[in-house]
Amino acid sequence: MHDRCDAARVLFNSQNQIRWIFMNQLFFESVRKVFHHRPALFNWVGKERGGETIALDGVSFSAASSEIVALLGPNGSGKTTTLKLISTMLLPDAGSVRVGGFDSRHDGSKVRRQVGIAVATERSFFPRLSARENLNFFAALDEVHRRERPRRIEEVLIEAGLKEQADTLAMKFSSGMYQRLGLARALIKHPSVLLLDEPTRSLDAAATSNFWTLIRALAVQGATVLLATHNFAEAAAVADRLLLLHQGALLEDRKLNGRESADDLRTLYFRRIGEHQTDPDHAMPREIHPARAAS
Amino acid sequence: MNSILDKLLAILRRDLLTAIRQRSGVAMTFAGLFTELAAFYYLARAIGPGFHPGGVQYFPFLLVGTGVYTFFLMSAQAFLNAVQQAQQTGTLEVLMTTSTPPAELLILSAISAFAGSLVNLLVYLLAGVAVFRAAIHVDLISCAVALVLSLAIALSIGVLAATVQIALQKGSALIWLLGSGLWFLSGTLFPVQSLPRPLELLARAAPLSYAIDAMRGALLEGRSVTTMAFTLAALAAFAVAMLPLALGALSLSLRRARQCGTLSSY
Repeated sequence: MHDRCDAARVLFNSQNQIRWIFMNQLFFESVRKVFHHRPALFNWVGKERGGETIALDGVSFSAASSEIVALLGPNGSGKTTTLKLISTMLLPDAGSVRVGGFDSRHDGSKVRRQVGIAVATERSFFPRLSARENLNFFAALDEVHRRERPRRIEEVLIEAGLKEQADTLAMKFSSGMYQRLGLARALIKHPSVLLLDEPTRSLDAAATSNFWTLIRALAVQGATVLLATHNFAEAAAVADRLLLLHQGALLEDRKLNGRESADDLRTLYFRRIGEHQTDPDHAMPREIHPARAAS
Repeated sequence: MNSILDKLLAILRRDLLTAIRQRSGVAMTFAGLFTELAAFYYLARAIGPGFHPGGVQYFPFLLVGTGVYTFFLMSAQAFLNAVQQAQQTGTLEVLMTTSTPPAELLILSAISAFAGSLVNLLVYLLAGVAVFRAAIHVDLISCAVALVLSLAIALSIGVLAATVQIALQKGSALIWLLGSGLWFLSGTLFPVQSLPRPLELLARAAPLSYAIDAMRGALLEGRSVTTMAFTLAALAAFAVAMLPLALGALSLSLRRARQCGTLSSY
């Protein structure tokens, strides 16, 4: 039997079958991930050198059902690597990643059935298929039942705000529409763990606001949401918890009580990573700063 | 089983829609097939009616030889292109996060790529018979057996090319190497018996030469399964050895790519 001791409770459903309820849906335990770079064989002309990048170094955390966790950190801090490890795109070098009690290394298929991921890469779709056809294709691979598929596709198209563009070829999509389609794809299998990599990077203000509402609703329905972002306002608006990563190490794991502002998170971020915060008011020369130029 | 069929249908539908919407691509593929046929037809005419390799006319000999060779190469290349494109767009990584096991997904994708090439092969052979009047004498059962065994070998070659692409990012080099070597050694243009003895032995180690022999026997001479038992047994032995080897190598390369983070390296 698999290790199912991840703070699970045993319940019996109406048919008297055992049902496992996981208080902690996701476990990340002492995870280390190193990327090795090997230069090309005949590299006399270029200056490429071998080496290694420690993407994550002994990182541990867990996330419960209905919890929204924001991953903050500078570029290269390990946010995307964390999401890729949970989705099984990557395997850990040391430590373990478990979703719903299943280990990503030994039970990859069972982990993938529970995890939906919306990647930051915009063009991870088939350009000559419409949004609906793309979703139908991915739904088949995610084993959404054939009869249930049209209804489910309709639902996620509405949730992602793509109903009007459902039959447009993906190659004609803007960055924001690609991002919505990525979210729709992640939702199609009703994941219990939803991984979002900079999900609102290309969205307009209205779409961002709708997206935050959707994420909250999904969490209320029991989904665990991990959100890698650079946007302090986003973290403050939706997250229940904040993980701050820097150079592959977890610097901060803090519960948010809903009263923190984007500025509070920004201050915490710069204090913990030890960089100086640029005052936004002084970031632009006077002549091009809109507020000052007006005065 | 139902679920696998459902996934295969989804992949076939994706590839069919993509091919149809690249209208000029489809038209150019068929134009290329007809140009190739015309070139071989006039080559056979230039050589003259006295040349009967293996006891058949030269144009039908070329028709089957080049058709089967192109089928092997085109299907492996089409599958490899699909893998490379998926790596470049980042689709491969996302596909690997679906509930479908990665090896199963790649094999279903390969089957779809091969179905497209099979259509091309049928069009090529039919055009050779209908337009260029190639004389044929078909045994349907031995033709079906030879085709199924050839498909299994072609699938193995495609999966091996994808494995090399995922592991070393050099799938195209493997296809190029196989393509140029087999063009010479597989009996596509002339019987392998014309080669010097060491090269003939080398040709006999290539599964494609058995596939071409079997298809020629079944399509041009109407030979039955029993009269081609040795050739079909050799094809079956290659299929039984190559398919599990290719699948094992693919699983290993996918696991290694996940470990090293090179799924999308190209």
